[in-house]
Amino acid sequence: MIHVDNLRKEFKKVNKEPGLKGSFKALFKPNYEIVTAVDGISFDVPKGEILGFIGPNGAGKSTVIKMLTGILTPTSGQCIINEQNPTQNRKKYVKEIGVVFGQRTQLWWDLPLRETYAVLKEIYEVEESEYKKRMEFLNEVLELDDFITSPVRTLSLGQRMRADIAASMLHNPKVLFLDEPTIGLDVVVKDNIRKAIEKINAEEQTTVILTTHDLADIELLSKRIVMIDKGNKVFDGKIADLKSKYGQMRELVFILENIKDLEKLEYKSHFKFKDDDLSVTNDGISVKVRFNNSVAPVADMLSYTLSKISVKDISVKDADIEEIIRRLYKQEVDLND
Amino acid sequence: MKQIKRAFRMHRIFVAQELKRMMEYKGDFIIGIIGFLFVQASNLLFLTLIFSNIPSLMGWDYTQVVFIYGFSLIPKGIDHLFFDNLWSIGHFTVRKGDFDKYLTRPINTLFHVMVEKLQIDALGEFLMGVALVCVTLPKLQVEWSVLRVVLILAVIPFATLIYTGIKIATAAIAFWTKKSGDITYMFYMVNDFAKYPVGIYNRAIQTIITYIIPFAFTAFYPAYFFLTGENPLFNIGMTVVISVVLMSIGILIWNRGIKAYESAGA
Repeated sequence: MIHVDNLRKEFKKVNKEPGLKGSFKALFKPNYEIVTAVDGISFDVPKGEILGFIGPNGAGKSTVIKMLTGILTPTSGQCIINEQNPTQNRKKYVKEIGVVFGQRTQLWWDLPLRETYAVLKEIYEVEESEYKKRMEFLNEVLELDDFITSPVRTLSLGQRMRADIAASMLHNPKVLFLDEPTIGLDVVVKDNIRKAIEKINAEEQTTVILTTHDLADIELLSKRIVMIDKGNKVFDGKIADLKSKYGQMRELVFILENIKDLEKLEYKSHFKFKDDDLSVTNDGISVKVRFNNSVAPVADMLSYTLSKISVKDISVKDADIEEIIRRLYKQEVDLND
Repeated sequence: MKQIKRAFRMHRIFVAQELKRMMEYKGDFIIGIIGFLFVQASNLLFLTLIFSNIPSLMGWDYTQVVFIYGFSLIPKGIDHLFFDNLWSIGHFTVRKGDFDKYLTRPINTLFHVMVEKLQIDALGEFLMGVALVCVTLPKLQVEWSVLRVVLILAVIPFATLIYTGIKIATAAIAFWTKKSGDITYMFYMVNDFAKYPVGIYNRAIQTIITYIIPFAFTAFYPAYFFLTGENPLFNIGMTVVISVVLMSIGILIWNRGIKAYESAGA
């Protein structure tokens, strides 16, 4: 369904020295620099899959999504979606995709919500009978009825997001791009939106590309993730694999009575940890020890720690997906293992 | 043919959407129109003041100048009324990345941008133009002929597209520079010269408004033909040619610009 091949995007950036003087200098003698936002990314998505597309801020996620949706023209490489190239015959291509940018809206701001749908119906040339069916379905999934007659400017963020998702689904697209669909929403609304996406995917076999910073979205919705960082793909696989591969990490957190006691703990030499297997951080009061459970079992770590020092409080945590991703973002994990 | 039909249908739908929007903010709408009428009335007052001191200006009498002035407001008003949204491209749509929206919809981006907004204030401008032309017509000593009437009416859409073309071309610069609203403004302001007979200006300005930023073809030259019947090939023909050329240049720059569009961080 989606085939992305060695996609690359460069931007030309003017380097400016700080201040007004620097701005003037850049005006007359610009100093250009080529910034590579996306540096040769490839992946495939089969029909009906929900792909979690993640990465830290500035990794190039949005740039990839914008190339896939035909907004940006790739510097090199190509993407074929639904057997079409987004930048060739754009008008035909976008009829078969739906796009939601959580930070923006495509709704008519000043008018009652239903006016937006009436116009989108025309823009996408949706037949009257089909339109009625779609509205019924979207209504059921996203519960638009409560606010369909209210002007868009009066909608809450959660309502607006539901309305925007409905707007992108009106023409029954084969691929749905959701860029941060749950940003800024409360727990209950997030949950509703996730359920809606799940339902749309299940009932219509819509392929979904989802970018988000909320990893709960990913855990609940997608089986597979593609992670990028600094314009490169750093992980592509099932979430389960990610967990079993990097899930052996545990976190030991304790509060010392005397912070100087920390020197007495020699985990590395005692358990023969490799560099990647252990990290110790402390903020002066509590100490966080992240360690590889397969090298040293939790029980051994605990008994060793307690035999060496006296602590006020101690706890052990599983590394959840969030922890793994955090470590991946900070590049504490070598993905080529 | 089907495409043209669809374009008209889309245009009608967008206009209807805009009218509904205006109903939401009635006060703003009414004050906007009144404001424009005031601006036009003060311009007219200025003309009257000048002519109360001098009976004619470089051979043009008051009625003729008012006719030219009135005629100039018609294409300007039409462009302003229907295609004003182009201004926002150069000012913020591209800079803020809001242009994304147009690229994800299955209609021509330029068409979408052009028809999306209706600047109803411009109705004041347009109506003032029509009123001035109607009031001055009976007092003008013109030899009436079918050809003159047909040509002057037929040239209005072309004169309108001179404005539109210049706006498209200058707005599209924003795809590279991120902001070009001031460039559009600079070009657009030259049109003030086009409201009066070209002959009253010095050579430099005459050359500019005839050959460089050819706003003189939006009003003076067509009106001149109507008043005198002279040289329709230049006065009307050139308006058509320039209009087509400017629109083509505008569309060309626009289409290349879309490929250079960089959006903005979310």
